[in-house]
Amino acid sequence: MKPDRLTLESPHFLTLLLFLAVAWSITNLDWGGPMLHAKGGQAALNLLSAVFTPDLSPSFLLVCLQAAWQTLSIALASMTVAVAIGFPLGIVASGGLATPDSRLRMGLIVSARFVLGAMRSIHELVWAVLLVAAIGLSPLTAIVALGLPYAGILGRIYAEFLEDVPGEPLVALRSSGASSSQSLMYGRLPMCLPDLISYTFYRFECSIRSAAILSFVGIRGIGYEIQISLGDLLFGQVWTLLFVLLGMVALVDFWSGRVRHSLLTS
Amino acid sequence: MTEVGIEPQSRWRTRRTPTLARLSLYAFVALLAIAWGTLFIEGDSGFTDLFQGRTWSNASNFLYRMAGLGMQDTPAFLLPEQWWATGKLAYDTLAMSVLAIGIAGAGAFLTFMFAARTLSNGALGGKPSLVGAGLYYVLRIFYAFTRAVPELVWALLIVFFLSPGILPGAIALGIHNLGIVGRLAAEVVEDMDPAPARALRSSGAGMFQVFLYAALPQTLPHLITYLLYRWEVVIRTTVVVGFVSAGGLGQEFRLSLSFFHYDQVTLIILWYLMLVMGVDLLSAWLRKMARFD
Repeated sequence: MKPDRLTLESPHFLTLLLFLAVAWSITNLDWGGPMLHAKGGQAALNLLSAVFTPDLSPSFLLVCLQAAWQTLSIALASMTVAVAIGFPLGIVASGGLATPDSRLRMGLIVSARFVLGAMRSIHELVWAVLLVAAIGLSPLTAIVALGLPYAGILGRIYAEFLEDVPGEPLVALRSSGASSSQSLMYGRLPMCLPDLISYTFYRFECSIRSAAILSFVGIRGIGYEIQISLGDLLFGQVWTLLFVLLGMVALVDFWSGRVRHSLLTS
Repeated sequence: MTEVGIEPQSRWRTRRTPTLARLSLYAFVALLAIAWGTLFIEGDSGFTDLFQGRTWSNASNFLYRMAGLGMQDTPAFLLPEQWWATGKLAYDTLAMSVLAIGIAGAGAFLTFMFAARTLSNGALGGKPSLVGAGLYYVLRIFYAFTRAVPELVWALLIVFFLSPGILPGAIALGIHNLGIVGRLAAEVVEDMDPAPARALRSSGAGMFQVFLYAALPQTLPHLITYLLYRWEVVIRTTVVVGFVSAGGLGQEFRLSLSFFHYDQVTLIILWYLMLVMGVDLLSAWLRKMARFD
C-alpha cells in the first residue's frame, strides 16, 4: 500500500456512506414487539453467570475431548479435499499451464476462476444443508461441504500468489530454454511455496471453527454438543465447550503462527 | 526492486526449508492420516454410499426437483410474485449484514485505541499506566474470544434471550467481526509511525486529541477497507445465521427445505447469489473509489 494514495477526503466520504447505510439498516428493525423474550433477561443472566461455573467433571471433559477430535478430524479431512481441488484449479486460474493456443489458455483461466468463484460464493453450511438433502447425512457430506468453499478460497489465493511472483527469475528460466511447465515447477512454485503453506495453515485454523458449526446439520462435534447443552439449559457445559473450541483454535493459531514466522522470515 | 543475484537477501533465493516448518509438515501429514483413518474406522463414514445407486438416484431426484421439473404447479422461480416475496427477505438479509458491519465498526472504533500496545506502554507519548496495561489485556482477550466463537454459536446464545428477527442475527455477526476488525485496527495503531502522536503529546495534546489527529487519520482507511472486506464475508454468513435467528432468507431457506419445497430453495439460492455478487461488486467498487485498496 502506498501511503501517498491515502487521501483523507475519500475515507471521510466513505465513512459518511457507511453511517447512512447503518442508519438505513436500523430503520429496518422491527421496533413493534418486545426486544427480549419473556424472562429473557433472567436467561441472559443465567447464561452469563455460568461462565464462572464451567462443568469440569471428568466425564464431561471426556465428552469435550471426543467432540474436539471429531471436529478436528472433519477439519483435517476437508482441508485435504480443499487442497486437492484448490491447488490444481489455482494453477490453471493463474495461467501457469502450458497451452499451445493463447485463446485456449484464456478460456481455461476464465473457467477455472468461475468454478472457484462459484464454490466460494456459497457458505459451507449452505453446501452442507443442500448436500444433506441430496445425498444424506454422513461425515462425507461434512467433508465435501467444507471442502468445496475452502477449495474456492484456497484456489483463488494460490492463483494470486502464483501471479505475484517476481518476473525476473522467470524470464531467466525461459531465456535459458525452460518450457512453461518447467518454469512453473522450478520458478513460480518454489518461489511462493512459503506463502502457499502459510496461507493453507491459516485456513486450517478457520476450518476448525467451520467444522464446529457444521454440527448444525447433525454432524457430531463441538457445535453439536453445544446445541445439546443449550437445549438442556446446562450453561456450565456450554462454556466448557466454548473454552475447548477456543483452546483448540488458539493452539492451532500458535502453531501456524510459528510456522508462518519461520517460513517467511528465514 | 533489487536485481537477482546481487542482493543476497532476496526472498526468492534458494534456501533450505527451516526445521520447524518441516517438522510441522510431518506432524500435519500424520494428523491427516489419523483423521482419515478414524473417519473410516469409526463406522459409517458415508464413503460406501458413493457406490450405491440409491444415493445417486436421490441426488439426481433432488436436482430434478430443484429445477422444478415434474411438478403440478408452476415452480416458484417462474412466478413474479414469489420473486417479489423472496426479494423482501433478501432486503432484510441485506439490512442484517449492514447492521452487523455497523455494530462491528462501532465497537472496534470505540475500543481499538485502548487495545494498542503502544498506547498502554507509553510509546505514543504519555506515561505508561497500570490501568492502560490492564485495559490492553482485557480488550485483547475480549477480541480473541469474540473472534474465536463462530457467528452461528453467537446467534444460538443470543436468541436465547432476544426476540427472533434480524437484530439477534446482526448482533451475532457484529460481535464476531468486532473481534476481527478490532484486532486489526489495534495492530495498525501499533505499527504506525509514533512521531505525530509524540509531537502532539509534547505540545500539550490530551489522549483524545492524539486519537483524533494522530491515530484516526492513519487507522481509519484500514478500518474502513477491512470493514468492506468483512462485509463480503458477512453477507455469505447472514443466511446461515438466519437459520437460528429467524431473520431474512435463512429462515425461509430452512423452512422450504423441511417442507421439501425445492423449487422455493432454488429461488432463495438465486437471491442469495445475487446478494453475494452484488455486495462483492459494491465492496470492490467502494474500495477502489476510495483508492486505498
